[in-house]
Amino acid sequence: MLVSVNQTWATISGDFLIAALLIYSLALLAFAGDFAFGRPRRAAADRELGARGAQRARVAQLATVGAGTAAAGDAGLPDRPEGVRDGAAAAGGPADLLPAARLSAWQAVNEAGSWVRAAIGLSVLAVAAHVVAVVARGLAVHRAPWGNMYEFITALTCIAGLFFVYVMVRYRVWSLGVFVMGAIVLALGLAETLIYTAAGPLVPALQSYWLSIHVTAMTLSTGIFFVAAVLGLLYLVAQRYRRRMAAGKIDGGNGLLARIPTPEQLDKLTYRAVIFGFPIWTFGVIAGAIWADQAWGRYWGWDPVETWAFVTWVLYACYLHARATAGWRGTKSHVIQLLGFASLMTNMLVVQVFITGMHSYAGVG
Amino acid sequence: MTDVHTPSEVSAETFGEDAVPGLAGNGGNRKAEVPQASWGWFRWAWRQLTSMRTALVLLFLLALGAIPGSLLPQEGTDPASVQNYFTAHPALAPWLNHLGLFNVYAAPWFAAIYLLLFASLIGCVVPRTLRLAGTARTPPPRAPRNLSRLPHSASYSVALPAGEAADAAAAYLSGKRFRLRRPADGDQASWISAEKGYLREAGNLLFHLSLLGVLCCIAVGGLFGYKADKLMVEGQTFSDTVTSLDEWHPGRLVSGSDLAPFSITLNKFSASYYTSGQSRGEPSTFDASIDYSSSPGGPAKPYNLRINQPLNVDSTKVYLIGHGYAPEFTVTDAKGKVVYQEATPFIPQDTSTLLSDGVVKVAGATPQLGFMGVFVPSPIDVSGELQSYFPAAQDPVVSLIGYAGNLGINSGIPQSVYQLDTTAMTQLTAKPFALAVGQSYTLPDGQGKITFDGYKNWVSLQVTYDPGQVPALICGILALAGLLLSFLVRRRRLFVRSVPAGDGSLVTIGGLARTDASGGFEDEFAEVVTELRAIHGDKAVPVTAAEPPAHEVPTGRAESQAPGENQTETGA
Repeated sequence: MLVSVNQTWATISGDFLIAALLIYSLALLAFAGDFAFGRPRRAAADRELGARGAQRARVAQLATVGAGTAAAGDAGLPDRPEGVRDGAAAAGGPADLLPAARLSAWQAVNEAGSWVRAAIGLSVLAVAAHVVAVVARGLAVHRAPWGNMYEFITALTCIAGLFFVYVMVRYRVWSLGVFVMGAIVLALGLAETLIYTAAGPLVPALQSYWLSIHVTAMTLSTGIFFVAAVLGLLYLVAQRYRRRMAAGKIDGGNGLLARIPTPEQLDKLTYRAVIFGFPIWTFGVIAGAIWADQAWGRYWGWDPVETWAFVTWVLYACYLHARATAGWRGTKSHVIQLLGFASLMTNMLVVQVFITGMHSYAGVG
Repeated sequence: MTDVHTPSEVSAETFGEDAVPGLAGNGGNRKAEVPQASWGWFRWAWRQLTSMRTALVLLFLLALGAIPGSLLPQEGTDPASVQNYFTAHPALAPWLNHLGLFNVYAAPWFAAIYLLLFASLIGCVVPRTLRLAGTARTPPPRAPRNLSRLPHSASYSVALPAGEAADAAAAYLSGKRFRLRRPADGDQASWISAEKGYLREAGNLLFHLSLLGVLCCIAVGGLFGYKADKLMVEGQTFSDTVTSLDEWHPGRLVSGSDLAPFSITLNKFSASYYTSGQSRGEPSTFDASIDYSSSPGGPAKPYNLRINQPLNVDSTKVYLIGHGYAPEFTVTDAKGKVVYQEATPFIPQDTSTLLSDGVVKVAGATPQLGFMGVFVPSPIDVSGELQSYFPAAQDPVVSLIGYAGNLGINSGIPQSVYQLDTTAMTQLTAKPFALAVGQSYTLPDGQGKITFDGYKNWVSLQVTYDPGQVPALICGILALAGLLLSFLVRRRRLFVRSVPAGDGSLVTIGGLARTDASGGFEDEFAEVVTELRAIHGDKAVPVTAAEPPAHEVPTGRAESQAPGENQTETGA
């Protein structure tokens, strides 16, 4: 059982991770460049899009980032799914009103301007390097590469990156790149500098195929919740911006906040991210219970980490229910969602590191 | 059904019903009426309890209430730390204890939260199950008059008569396994209502009911299960009876006769440790080689007990949960008679070095002898003090202090085997003496001799029986399945109306997704429109010779050259 670390793969992993961090930073710069310089060109694209008929704009609604609140604000109310209903009906007569075809992802990226193209290219490259780093780490240590805190953060940011690139291309929310990539660069940079742990073997309690199942699910869902949390934070910012606009405290302008998606779009994206992550988290908790039964002789024992995983689960359940409760939608539900993520982070960064329990494997400090 | 955009307050009053503008089936307005009689109060209270708002608050409380249990030591998992907490905070601890904060998950207030939550859940889920059973038999509502007011709508002209267009649409939607409703006989209008996705609500209910199941399974485990601990030294055998167990925590309805009659012999335990690198000193494997028989006198079967690899015997599980060293001592009295010869388990003080301490109680000597000692697996001298630099026993040494007098074993007060009560004893040596394997120490004043013969390993085993475990797992899997169904399936309605227009008819299609959490109804709607259009186009009979034959219409694209189309794609 004494397996040694494959140093070649360990080195490759380390190098690729540094490369990924660098490329993420470049992607971040490109996203920021889009904010600073990309506007006119994209506005032109939006106008062009608009000229093709409001239908298409409506269908590809989430693509029309920065098209301004006037256009999206009317189409994106949560109770009114965006549709192909069209004002052109006013033209009268038995005109055919048909849903338009969506732009393909490729076309959408192409139309988004050179800064966005560069940023997405860099993001994809960074995520690819990141995936190589994580896989190489796994090959170096002959196991699932999430056996300690450093590896866990490395893997979850990789998931967050992958998931975000998908969300960004699927829903054409280019303007979120600067926020999500910023968060990823920050998390990865801190992991690399503060808690770097060289590749090493595992203690017997972790030598189980359940490591691959339980921790993989937790890594996946944490990565997804990470993206949801950034979206939720942006929702609060966008909502506040809109309120202040409505109150006349600020004028629309051309600033950063005028460029992020509308609260309705962010709300919907957050919700979709959470309902993607929530079943995976649930599965992770169940898999953890099975493993706990194998290793510790009970499936649930209110170990501090188990307790906080439960708290996180309950808070995300709260969010899902709040979203369906009158008076709790919008800001309140997002605050709950962020509380859920806060408890997830507490679990990861405080409970696992500072509170002694069965899960004290972090290998930090 | 007339206005689909009315924000729905009522739908929010039950579990998981997302905002459903305008769909029938809401339980009516639940705004609290003024309670009148006592029954009225009860009904009012019940409605409050089963409202979504209350459920939300209870969920919050559940999350909040669980937190102190992770911050304070708990009786159930770590009673020693609770004792330490009492010593460290003598003023605060009794108050915390009154609040049940040292046993949060068994505290009445915690139970109150989850029981109320589940009562709220039952009050919501049961009526909904009944309602679901009801809707499973009722057809969808009539098609609204003005389909263009629905969130999704499309219209186009066809050459078919209105009735035939509706029939073709009905056949198509039926083939897509929609449940259909058509006008009653005698109704001249041509419309179709179609609904699909009833599994969403079923999944939602399955999820909540399964959570209830999990709670029941935990209760079953608490009533009928048990947990026990046993420490065994290599060579020892133990059978699963209450008297031979070190600790025994039965469920409320469990008695000693319910124990599975197996026995276990520990042949050998070995641990290996990483010897280099960052993980130096950390364990790499634990291996307990045991023989077990599932009934007294039955055949013995070998098993390799490891962490993550428990022994399953008669649906009881045996786990390897700890290990340590048991130094072997021989003590002879003043006359040279052997009064003590056994391996004595010492308890590790530091899991990274396995520096362990323990006591030797020699009750058979006169006067009685006692030794307090430290077992050092890999000794190193750190400025005059013995320390262990590695957990494996490479060159073990024991360091002992001897006492003579009365051990107090016969006083009737229960005593820990790991502690020496020296109140009635005198210390024999001023300083501790160290012994390597095979060495002896002759006690002063001819009181005898103690020899360190060697050591054995011991393991601590946990014996667990939990009949609720497998059902809990099944409930967990069902809950997950229900969750996925409720997230992935969308309940949606499609309406088709065809009215005579010109030579053919005008077909209007409306769509409404009750919930579209995972997105994609928009695409589905577009696909339905495209396909319906193709079907209508294929079946279209040219009404006038001037029209192009319908079979020339390219299918698969919405933008075909059917009569009357001209508006939508012109801007490109």
